[in-house]
Amino acid sequence: MMEHSETRSQGSGETTVNLTVNGEPCQLTLPPNVVLLDALRDRLGLTGTKKGCDHGQCGACTVHIDGQAVNSCLRLAVMCEGRHITTVEGLASDVGLHPVQQAFLEHDAYQCGFCTPGQMMSAAALLEDSRIADDDAAVREAMSGNLCRCGAYKNILSAIQDARRHVSPQRTEGESP
Amino acid sequence: METQTRVIGHRTPRVDGEYKLTGKADYTVDWQAEAMLYGYPVPASIAHGNLVALHLEEALAMPGVVEIFYDGNFPELSRSPNSMAHQDQVSEVRLPFEDSRIHYAGQYVALVVAESFEQARAAAQAVRAEYRQDAGAIGSLLDSEADGQPLEAKRQVRGDADGAFEQAPVKLDQTYSIAAESHMQMEPHATLAEWRDNRLIVHESTQGVIYQQKAMARVFGLAEEDVEVISHYIGSGFGNKLFMWPHAVATVAAARELGRPVKTVLPRQQDMTCGGNRPASRQRLRLAADEQGKLLSIHHDSATETSLVHTFVDAIGSVSPSLYACDNVAISQHLLEVNHGTPCPMRGPGETSGIFALECAMDELAIALNMDPLELRRRHDSRDDPAKGLPWSSKHLDACYDSAARRFGWARRDPVVGSMTEGDEILGWGMATSSWFAGRQPCAARVELRADGSIMAACGTQDIGTGTYTVIAQTVAELTGVAIEHIEVRLGESSLPAGPLSGGSMATATTLPAVAKAVRAAIDELKEVATAENGAFAGADPETLTLEDGALLDEQGKRASFSEILTDHKLGSVNGDGDTAPGDERKQYSFRSFGAHFVEVRWDPGISRIRVARVVSSFDIGRAINPATARNQVEGSIVMGIGMGLLEKLEYDPRDARLINNNYSDYIVTCHADMPEIDVELLDNPDYAFNEFGARGVGEIGLTGVAPAIANAVHHATGKRIRDLPITIDKLLAD
Repeated sequence: MMEHSETRSQGSGETTVNLTVNGEPCQLTLPPNVVLLDALRDRLGLTGTKKGCDHGQCGACTVHIDGQAVNSCLRLAVMCEGRHITTVEGLASDVGLHPVQQAFLEHDAYQCGFCTPGQMMSAAALLEDSRIADDDAAVREAMSGNLCRCGAYKNILSAIQDARRHVSPQRTEGESP
Repeated sequence: METQTRVIGHRTPRVDGEYKLTGKADYTVDWQAEAMLYGYPVPASIAHGNLVALHLEEALAMPGVVEIFYDGNFPELSRSPNSMAHQDQVSEVRLPFEDSRIHYAGQYVALVVAESFEQARAAAQAVRAEYRQDAGAIGSLLDSEADGQPLEAKRQVRGDADGAFEQAPVKLDQTYSIAAESHMQMEPHATLAEWRDNRLIVHESTQGVIYQQKAMARVFGLAEEDVEVISHYIGSGFGNKLFMWPHAVATVAAARELGRPVKTVLPRQQDMTCGGNRPASRQRLRLAADEQGKLLSIHHDSATETSLVHTFVDAIGSVSPSLYACDNVAISQHLLEVNHGTPCPMRGPGETSGIFALECAMDELAIALNMDPLELRRRHDSRDDPAKGLPWSSKHLDACYDSAARRFGWARRDPVVGSMTEGDEILGWGMATSSWFAGRQPCAARVELRADGSIMAACGTQDIGTGTYTVIAQTVAELTGVAIEHIEVRLGESSLPAGPLSGGSMATATTLPAVAKAVRAAIDELKEVATAENGAFAGADPETLTLEDGALLDEQGKRASFSEILTDHKLGSVNGDGDTAPGDERKQYSFRSFGAHFVEVRWDPGISRIRVARVVSSFDIGRAINPATARNQVEGSIVMGIGMGLLEKLEYDPRDARLINNNYSDYIVTCHADMPEIDVELLDNPDYAFNEFGARGVGEIGLTGVAPAIANAVHHATGKRIRDLPITIDKLLAD
């Protein structure tokens, strides 16, 4: 059938999970088959994170879990007990846009904008990851889980390399995320 | 008429940028309504036959399931008349659940509606269907010997092509094919339908709020003003969101029957299966030339696909009579009904496929003539449109050839196949001409100059990511001198003055003249206020006043801002309406954009790996209103063209016509790691015969010509002439 890769679950019963989302503690009571992406979008109203494929293939749903870029469509919400989750809504701070957001604006690193939250979350994570080299080829490779059908890749790359000036790598060689 | 501009023609950050970058932009999939239900379609698992029985008991008993709609439990509706002229064109004229006939795999056999997304999905997967399968399902034109029905309307003849071909000393006769492609826009098709007091509010991810409004009104028997279609942000659509699809009809009907809002977001698998595709094509090209390389005839005979529920004709031969000077041309097209989801326009529809065949054939002809392929094209660059006998309004294709060839280094090309190497890799250099028509549509717009010093411009078109919000804001800023940040642009609502589809690369040339007319009408209104009794310019002739930097100015240098004038008169705003349509210019000129792509591929003969390494292109697109967004359009098109050339193919199982690769892993699109060096130049030759801003549109032209330039480069590197897209490694390995 066309939906062969999706699990069948009726989700009887609900489970409570405690998360910190964009710095705010929150408690959700939900069926165990709710994926993190749908919990963020449908139950917390954080619709900045997008669903492009629901299969971990396009990267539009990328969020940070404890600082690591993750496809939120591949995590059940109940697997995230105690985790710190950052979405695009939490990327900017009181002082303004995150350097990646600012660079995306200046470099026109998007068109329709639908993949953009995922692109930026991946970019923000990779800039802090010293294990990823700073040359263009390494950045392209590291970003290849984020598809952009509008094809704004050239500008996305230049935005990431520009934003690099304002972000210092934190994760060091050999350290496990 | 060359005018100095301050905002138009200058790089301007997108006015909607911050919304998109902070997650605030409200795409259709993001909307929620109170007491909203979730729809999830059930797709047919056969491609050809009948639905015999649906077993719903298990699904209906599952938690949260509210209703299941199907043939037998669905309201009687009317088909849309499906008229472009009346703007009620749809993607499939067949309504959902109209009967038990199955025309393609994935066709909806039911719509499950439940309280949550998870519940709707689980129940949809629990629906059991029984089918009677018919033999003879056709998955692809390319699996069929037959070409289908001839299309008389697509036949074009100039001169005596048959006679010229017969007599010519140099001839080429080859057949080219292109696999069906998927749009793969990132936001899937989505509908949120809500009925309020017999009025219908539809959030739809659409390239045409007005078209969807009218089509919905016809299907549900409503007055147009009782249908509101909203699409503020669209996660793109490359033609497959132009016209209404059955999921929208099913969702709206479900919301009406249940008395609650319903949202259906197509899962990616269904979006790819039944949300539109570029039809596969087979094209026979015959070219004839004399020994000096003069093109004597062009025959372009093609076949494309449509589905059994809708007639879609991809106008594949439409550019061939116009691209090159040639006295004898014959164009024909056939249409084959196949058992897969209905095709629809996909970026650069028709011409992108047609140019692939024509530009590969030109390369093959150049080789047969022992002539440089660029030189062959230069010799046939025409000052007039050979199809219409009218002069081109503004054509600088020669400058595109010159500039792109120089930047690419074409003069250093050694034409001997496989002769250019670097390390273990063989370089291939190929080129192709690029072209897309320039069109305009009727359009209305409204502009308000407000007492707080801000300006609002509104138009019932939409921004699919091309930058329509921004170019409209630039236009208002240019004409009023008011800073961009004080200009609000409202789009994506069918209740706004009727604007165009975001399609055919026509939105910019269509909307800006209407917005400009509305701005001028609002300024005239302001002058009337200002020159009335007690006005800042009481008694003055309005003709003597000008608007600069948001202020009216008389000949003596007296100034008053529009904000002061409106405040003094206790007016909230003055308004202007603008209505524009194409005029008589089409009797004087033919309008078309042109360009040239030069491509370098690198081939590792050891493992037969082929990669696009470099693309250098120049385009003659009139004026780029915003060079940043215009360049982005062209670069993005080149990225899509690399997919067309090397990666993309919808694979239908030849045994049962089911789509095999309906996901982002098995249908491969270009990703970051595939990116070559891209060097795009936009020539700046405003086409003022076309409209006052000189813009011809830029959304599609960049895709045309990429795939043939790649195919020609692949031949130069490998000696293999692959006439079947995509050019995958297996074709390069075959003997």
